Amino acid sequence: MADESTGGGATPQPAPSELAPTEHAPSELPQRGEALAFAIGVAGWLVPGLGHALQKMWGRALGCFLTVGALVFLGVGMRGNVFSSEGGDAFGILGYVADLGTGSFYFAARALETQGSDVAHAEGDYGTRFLAAAGVLNLLAALHAYEAARGRKA
Amino acid sequence: MILAIAFTLSHFQSMTLFALLISVAFGFLSRRRTNERVKYIIWSLFLFLLIGVGIGWAMYPFSR
Repeated sequence: MADESTGGGATPQPAPSELAPTEHAPSELPQRGEALAFAIGVAGWLVPGLGHALQKMWGRALGCFLTVGALVFLGVGMRGNVFSSEGGDAFGILGYVADLGTGSFYFAARALETQGSDVAHAEGDYGTRFLAAAGVLNLLAALHAYEAARGRKA
Repeated sequence: MILAIAFTLSHFQSMTLFALLISVAFGFLSRRRTNERVKYIIWSLFLFLLIGVGIGWAMYPFSR
């Protein structure tokens, strides 16, 4: 877990010295590799850390899973607002998109928040930020997994 | 069974928890080696707290 190489599992990468200059061009990647990288990105979005786990990047997978999970758990515990698709204004829609970034954890958050949100107090307001940050962080991690699967340095 | 969970945290505790979790995630994503990650996490956490407290004090004159 100390050192992690990129693209360890799904797309093994040769040493930089073995790569011809043209091999770096994304447009020349095989179609199948692109599809696999996209699937890894989607997997990383649906289950935080899964995109990295599929590439045997265990440290990053565990880090993503635990931090996103902790942010969601704390956000719900602080009675933050878990936005739904019925948000009327732009902020509601943006909040929904951010919350959806946690993938499957969004549905866990909705199931756990039985008492509803309480944004009248500071804890609830902080909880809303925790949930949104968890979503954006997971999207960043999924993008990172996707880039690593494409062979980009990460 | 759905567990009802509830936390009551102060502003500073909330900010520190947020800063710690984000710093850990950034450290794991952006660095490969363990010692580099630890350095990054500590430095990022320190800056999060310094800037957060600094902005808090900067807003103090306008808070009332």
